[in-house]
Order: sequence, then structure tokens, then C-alpha cells
Amino acid sequence: MAKQKPSLLKVHLPIQGYGLAVVSVGVALGTGLLLQRYSFHGVESLLFLFAIALTVWFGGSGPAVLAVALSSLAFNYFFTEPFYSLYIGTSELPYYFAFILFAILLTWFSTVRRRVERELLQSRDELQSEVAERTQQANLLNLTHDTIFVRDTSDIITYWNRGAQELYGWTAEQALGKHSHQLMQTEFPISIDEVHAQLLRAGRWEGELRKTKADGSRVVVASRWSLRRDERGHAVAILETNNDVSDRKRREEEIRKLNDELRKRTTDLEATNRELEAFAYSVSHDLRAPIRHIVGYTELLQKNSSSALDEKSQRYMMTILESAKKMGTLIDDLLAFSRIGRAETRATTVNLDLLVKEALGEVQQDTNGRNIAWNVGALPELYGDRSMLRLALVNLISNAVKFTRTRPRAEIEIGCLEKNKDEVVVFIRDNGVGFDMKYVDKLFGVFRRLHSTQAFEGTGIGLATVHRIIHRHGGRVWAEGLVDSGATFFLAVPSHRS
Amino acid sequence: MDILGRILMVEDDPKDVELTLTALGDYNLTNEVVVVHDGEEALNYLYRRGNFAARSNENPAVLLLDLKLPKVDGLEVLQQMKSDETLKMIPVVVLTSSREERDMVASYKLGVNAYVVKPVDFHEFVNAIKELGMFWAIINEPPPGSMRKK
Repeated sequence: MAKQKPSLLKVHLPIQGYGLAVVSVGVALGTGLLLQRYSFHGVESLLFLFAIALTVWFGGSGPAVLAVALSSLAFNYFFTEPFYSLYIGTSELPYYFAFILFAILLTWFSTVRRRVERELLQSRDELQSEVAERTQQANLLNLTHDTIFVRDTSDIITYWNRGAQELYGWTAEQALGKHSHQLMQTEFPISIDEVHAQLLRAGRWEGELRKTKADGSRVVVASRWSLRRDERGHAVAILETNNDVSDRKRREEEIRKLNDELRKRTTDLEATNRELEAFAYSVSHDLRAPIRHIVGYTELLQKNSSSALDEKSQRYMMTILESAKKMGTLIDDLLAFSRIGRAETRATTVNLDLLVKEALGEVQQDTNGRNIAWNVGALPELYGDRSMLRLALVNLISNAVKFTRTRPRAEIEIGCLEKNKDEVVVFIRDNGVGFDMKYVDKLFGVFRRLHSTQAFEGTGIGLATVHRIIHRHGGRVWAEGLVDSGATFFLAVPSHRS
Repeated sequence: MDILGRILMVEDDPKDVELTLTALGDYNLTNEVVVVHDGEEALNYLYRRGNFAARSNENPAVLLLDLKLPKVDGLEVLQQMKSDETLKMIPVVVLTSSREERDMVASYKLGVNAYVVKPVDFHEFVNAIKELGMFWAIINEPPPGSMRKK
């Protein structure tokens, strides 16, 4: 509470009060004597009454008694007969009573006046301090970045903070006195009656509202309302805070759309996968059987009628057999290739040294009678599906063996390039027939071959299989070569779990 | 009907039947083969129903089962056999064109005794069938209640 301010109309020290009594009575006496000298009689008592009144009003009750006593003495001594004596005649008594009564009356008045004055001062001070406090609070509300505004029960805006100005674009001067929902074209998710019912019941409401800014753009806000009631419980104001959630809403919407799209694509992909699987299954069962029958019956025919057939017919028969078997191999390779795409990968840490040894073992029967100089360097560990990686290595190594067949001394090198943190690059280099770099793009395609089947047998699926395996590992595969000067194949595979 | 045979072959394709029988002919096992053409017929044979109601009550020594069959497919036949106390002991060899892992895993889970993919190469096919026939019909001692060699 603020300190009580001293009254200008009150004498505080007692000595001043008594002084005042002496001075005012003295002045009244002097004035009386002066007037007497000019034969102006009958106003002395009024002068003393005035002096008493002055003393009572400004000096309080103590000095008032002194003033009454002094006035009575002076009046008795100077203005009643016998003059210049303190004899009190009965005819003078009413004067002294009048002095005393007047003093008492004025003292009472003065007391009442002081009390009223004190009360007035007190309530003024209280009011001032409350105003100061309110102003401070309002200033604090103004400081916050949050949008805060207050409206009365008829939705007329009575307070509008800086955050509200920043969000909606209207200044406090523009917004105050306006109808809140009309100004901002508020759109409610539920009926406004329901909102009000909830607000009255719980004292608060929160929800998402769509509003319009001063520039006409739309905004979605998370809105919280609090109801302010007076002492009697009547609603007097609604405080509303708003947070702009338009960006969040937009992002949510985007995420939802992306998710929907993803779900749809996943469903499509699953359907495609199922179709592919059904296709592969059907190929596996139904396409292989006729091939087997062609081969089987041709063999039986050959066995039963070999003596009856001439050399040309024998050759025809052989061609049928070869073609059918080739078809069988193609189907098997194609199925194996499609299986890579369909099979689940089981990724573990794989020891590449061991894997290369196994792959070399697998191609051993193709190397019989060959002069091959193997140069296998130190190989790191990598992360992937062991059996798939093994298949990729077997394909590449058997390719190297195959395409160095024309060399009196084949040289095959398997090693690892400088390894960085995230991936391992393995290479397989041979001194075989190589290839023309202008066909490098066709190297990894299904059924793509750069050599005739007469020169080098094969179905054209091996490198496509390698490509698919490495791709499923999130890796890369590429090749470098020169006609008649060998080829190098590179595999880049993640070295650890991503 | 008086059909006797220790090898029950379930195969819908007559060409495969002929080729298989040809291969088995080398061990004179042809006469021991009973051929049925779909899963339903196979179950009728095993349970001695319909056309096979009059057959003797001994079980075949081995069942050569194709997977892709009309009406009731091979895996269903296998499942019914392996869940039936009287039939579960009969050795079953799946003989199929397919190398699909799905089929292989399903068959082994159901308790198949062997899984053979018919090779495209006829010599390999003949060898495989011969070895199968020899092993299951001659070398292997079938469970009690099976038909004996004539």
C-alpha cells in the first residue's frame, strides 16, 4: 500500500496548535482593540469566535481549550465592564458558553471532517495502487508473444495485446470496441451455443478455430477461452489466447497425404509382387514340364530309333535336345533371378575372406586343366545377406574364369579398394577377353550378352543377378574393361548396418 | 478291384506318368506302380473309398506325389496323410517340376520324407526316378502294414 500522504490542512505538532491558539486569539484581540479605538463596537465576540474556530479547525481540541480560555480572559479583561479587570458579571456568561459551545461544535465537525478525509485518502490510495498493478499486468500481457485478447459478454473486444496485433494485423486501437467474431470471421468446429454452454459450465473452453487476418489470409489457431466472473458470479469477460497452428496443420495434412499415397503405393506394390510371385510359381511348374517332356520323348525317340535315322536326322534330334535343355536352363536362371527380388534378405556381418574361399570352391570344376594365377588380397568384413553375396561372388568369379579361357595363363585378382567408413569396394580383375566400354551400360541387363554363345556359353542372367543382389544391399556395381585386355568388376557394399 | 502295388504315384500329366514308368521299367518296378490322377483319387485310394473300396487294406510302401494337381493339390493330400494315424507312417516323396522354396518349406513342415525336383535332362530324370524307386521300393524297409514285395 502506498504511504498515507500528510494533510495540508492539518497542523501536526502540538506546539504549533497552541501557538496558533495564542496567535489567533492575539490577532482577534488586536483587531478588536483597533476597532474599539475607532469606536466600532459589538464585533469583538465574533472576532474571538473566529479565532476559536480557526484554532479548532487547524489545531485540534487541546489548542481549542487554550483558545477558549484565552478568548474568555481577553474578552473579560478588555471588552466587558469593568474594563481591565477579570471580574465576571452574570451578563457575560452567555458569551463564554457561546465560546465553549462553538468550540465543541467545531471540534466535532472537524473530527468528522478528518475521518471522512482520511477515508477518502485511503480509498484514493487503494485505487491508485490497484490501477498501478493492473497497468503493470496489462503491460506484462503485452510483452508476451502469445496472442491474448479480452472481450465482454457481448463479444466486444476490450483488450488486445501486442501478440494479437502481430498475429492478426489489427492494432489495439483498431480492434478495441469491435465485435470479436465479426472482426476475425471466426469459424467454429461446433456450434457457438455449445461453446458458450461449455464455457459457462466449466469456465473454460479450448478448440481449433479458423479466423481471418486483417490482410484477408486464413489462419488456424489453437484457441483457449477463460471466463471471468464478478464477485456475484456473473460472467463479465472472456479472455482468449490463440496460437497459430496453420503450419502444423499444413504439415499434418501433407504427412497425411504422403501416408495415403505411400499406403496406396505399398498396396500396389504388394499386388504386383503377388502377381509376380504367382507368375514365377506358374512358370516354375508349368513351363518346365513341357520342356522336360520334349527332352524326355526326344531321348526315348533317339534310343528307340537311332539305327533307323540317318546322320542328318540324328543332328536334328540333337538340336531339339540342345534347344530344349537351353530353354530349361534359361527358365531356371530366370526363376533364380526373380527369386532374388522376392526373397527376404537376412543381413549379418559377413566375412568376405571366407565367402571368396567358398565361391572359389564352387567354381573349381570349371578350372580343372586350366592355368590360372589367383591373386586374392586381404578382404574386410561387410554387412549383408550371406547367401546372396555368395551368389554374386560366384557369378563374378565364374565369369572371370570363363572369359579368360582363351588365355594360356589366366590371371584373376580379387581385392579390396581403399575402404572408407561406410562402404567396402571389392573388385575382381581378369586378363580375359574384356569388353568394349561403349557397351558398358548393357552389361548388367537381363539377357544382355556381349559375346556369342558359340564363343562363350551363358544365358545373360549372371551379371543381372549380381546387379540385383548388390542393389538390394543398397550398394553399387560397375565395370571397367578393354577389348582383349581384361575386365574389372567393382562391388560397393555397405560395411555396416545403416 | 484287385489293384496291387507298392508304389502309389499321384500325377495328373500322362506324359510324366509315361516317362516315370519308363524309367522305373529298368528295375521291373512298373507293375508295382498304381497311378492316380488327382489328390481326391489319391485320398480315395488311401482310405479305400469309391473305386478303391475293394482293395486290400495294406498301405503302399511309398507315395510319389506331384504338388500341382487337379481338385485336391499335393500339399493338401500330404497334410491329410500326416495328420492321420493310419497313414502318417507311409513314406511320401514329393516329385515336382517346381523348385519354389515356398513349396519345399511347406512340404518339409508337413513331414515329407523326400523332395525331388524333376530334372529337365532326361538322363538325370531317369536316374533320379530309378534311384527313388530302388531306394523306396527295394532298399527301404517300409513300416508295418505296408504291401510286401510280390
